[in-house]
Amino acid sequence: MTRAIVTHDLVKIYPRRDRPWWRPAGPRRVAAPAVAGLRLTIPAGQVTGLLGLNGAGKTTTIRMLSTLLRPTSGSATVDGLDLVRDAREIRRRINMIAGGERMTYARLTGRENLWYFGQLYDVPRARLKARIGELLALVGLEHAADQRVEQYSKGMRQRLSIARGLINEPAYLLLDEPTLGLDAPIARDLRAVVAELARGGVGVLLTSHYLAEVEQLCARVHVIAAGRLVAQGTPAELTALTERRHTVEITLAAPAPAADQAVQALSVRTGAQVTAARDDELRPRYTVRHRHDLAGELATAVVAAGGAIVRLEVTPPTLEDAVLALADAARRPEAVPA
Amino acid sequence: MAWATLKRNWLVMQRAYPWSYFIGTLAPGVFTVVLALLSYEAIGGGRVSAWFRDSSGTPDYLGYVTVGAAALMFTTRMVLWVAKAQITEQREGTLESQLLTPARRLPYLFGVAVQAFLTSLLELACLLGTALLLGVRLPAPDPYTLLVGVLAAFVAVVGLSIPVSAIMIAAGEAHVTQNTLFCLVGLVCGCTFPPALLPDPLAWVGELLPVTSALRVLRAASLHAAPLGQVTVDLLLCLGLGAAYVAVGLLILPYAERRAITRGASA
Repeated sequence: MTRAIVTHDLVKIYPRRDRPWWRPAGPRRVAAPAVAGLRLTIPAGQVTGLLGLNGAGKTTTIRMLSTLLRPTSGSATVDGLDLVRDAREIRRRINMIAGGERMTYARLTGRENLWYFGQLYDVPRARLKARIGELLALVGLEHAADQRVEQYSKGMRQRLSIARGLINEPAYLLLDEPTLGLDAPIARDLRAVVAELARGGVGVLLTSHYLAEVEQLCARVHVIAAGRLVAQGTPAELTALTERRHTVEITLAAPAPAADQAVQALSVRTGAQVTAARDDELRPRYTVRHRHDLAGELATAVVAAGGAIVRLEVTPPTLEDAVLALADAARRPEAVPA
Repeated sequence: MAWATLKRNWLVMQRAYPWSYFIGTLAPGVFTVVLALLSYEAIGGGRVSAWFRDSSGTPDYLGYVTVGAAALMFTTRMVLWVAKAQITEQREGTLESQLLTPARRLPYLFGVAVQAFLTSLLELACLLGTALLLGVRLPAPDPYTLLVGVLAAFVAVVGLSIPVSAIMIAAGEAHVTQNTLFCLVGLVCGCTFPPALLPDPLAWVGELLPVTSALRVLRAASLHAAPLGQVTVDLLLCLGLGAAYVAVGLLILPYAERRAITRGASA
């Protein structure tokens, strides 16, 4: 059996009250699908990304996979165990860390919190003491281990929440915006921890608004929109899907009509999208978007036409472009990529 | 699990003892005893009617009311700890991290209940001490029956608290639920007057609450020094009802928890 979390046509519909119960006309409850037939595979030993705009169904998916919510229909298995039927056994194997959420006891110290959660996960007493020490060191809270959590900063609480999520040495870790609100060095350390966990065999599902984080960590990424899977692949494969490609921004020292004509001619010849504007010092600035990197061709044409370039910047297509393009496409069903 | 939760709650209680709840439950208990004392002396002239003696089984009105007020305070304090445990977790943002674990609910609630029981006994001592200062005198109880009665009351109130906890987290509301229960217990369980004074339907509602039979055992032990053999029926009734409430509570709790999580997720 392959070690993985596998979902089959997972659906979650939230009943929403459409009108107060005392008003007679119309349906009182309407179905609000948050996840609509999702098929995912989260293998052990790698980080899998789950991306989408707000309301796409990422958090609902994570809550279902963590057994907090039951699917309305469809199913999911964790190493072959059924998400609903074997929920208690699955809870031993997984854990979830959600960014910006409290999830720890404010009036206990960091150490007491980890001890308590260790007890809830039945971590053997001999192992628990060592595990608490390891985790406090891992998240950099050794100095504050015996301080009450109510005295912690937001970042310290989040770091403790991360330690809580690792207390049971989970085989699968579900991360919902785990670096939200963390300082850059701590976020970097967390990314290193996640990468290390994946190398050690842990399957990680990551949602994040920091797409650089996803590009850095994820072997595969699933993009969802309106609760449906709209694309999947490696970050590079998804990036290549987008039509919002290379962006070249070129700024000239002074207005030059010949250079302007050269840029327009390049646009006509290659089909590139060109936007002309002025920068803060009123110098001409052209933004050229095309599926290929036109920086060399553009610079040659401008210089040949007598233009003096003061700034040239090339922005390659990003995963963010891909997610936005795929989400846009999902809003127009006929344009959803296969 | 139970031990870990007991230890956790004990630490939290030491660091942030809920004084407002303590005063809010001690004060009505003391007022009840004071009012009984005043009405007994000022209205009854230090005597009770034959009807009261027949329906309550004792001529000791002050003892009757003091034991009832203590039972009501015990019920209130235990419900405030046990039934509100999960909704407090929900409000403090820790319910999800609890539900993520494989831990079972009964040991968790038992841990909360044992801490609540120990704390409530100390708080009850304050009420009984105040009643003694006010001149209330209780006869020497039968220690075994009293001990068993207190344990039966523990089972009864914990049992009652579990479905109430489920209602609270499902509704996302505690005050209306808990105060309705407190009013109901105060009205129909015979805390301050014999249930015979109630209309039959209300008296039957009282019999469905295990606090009523627990109170009969406690009064028999403390006012009549009754041996265990004399209270067996009430004891079994109290434990049976308590166990039934535990079973119903544990049955509905998972649904209530999912409803609470769903409400949070879809909000």
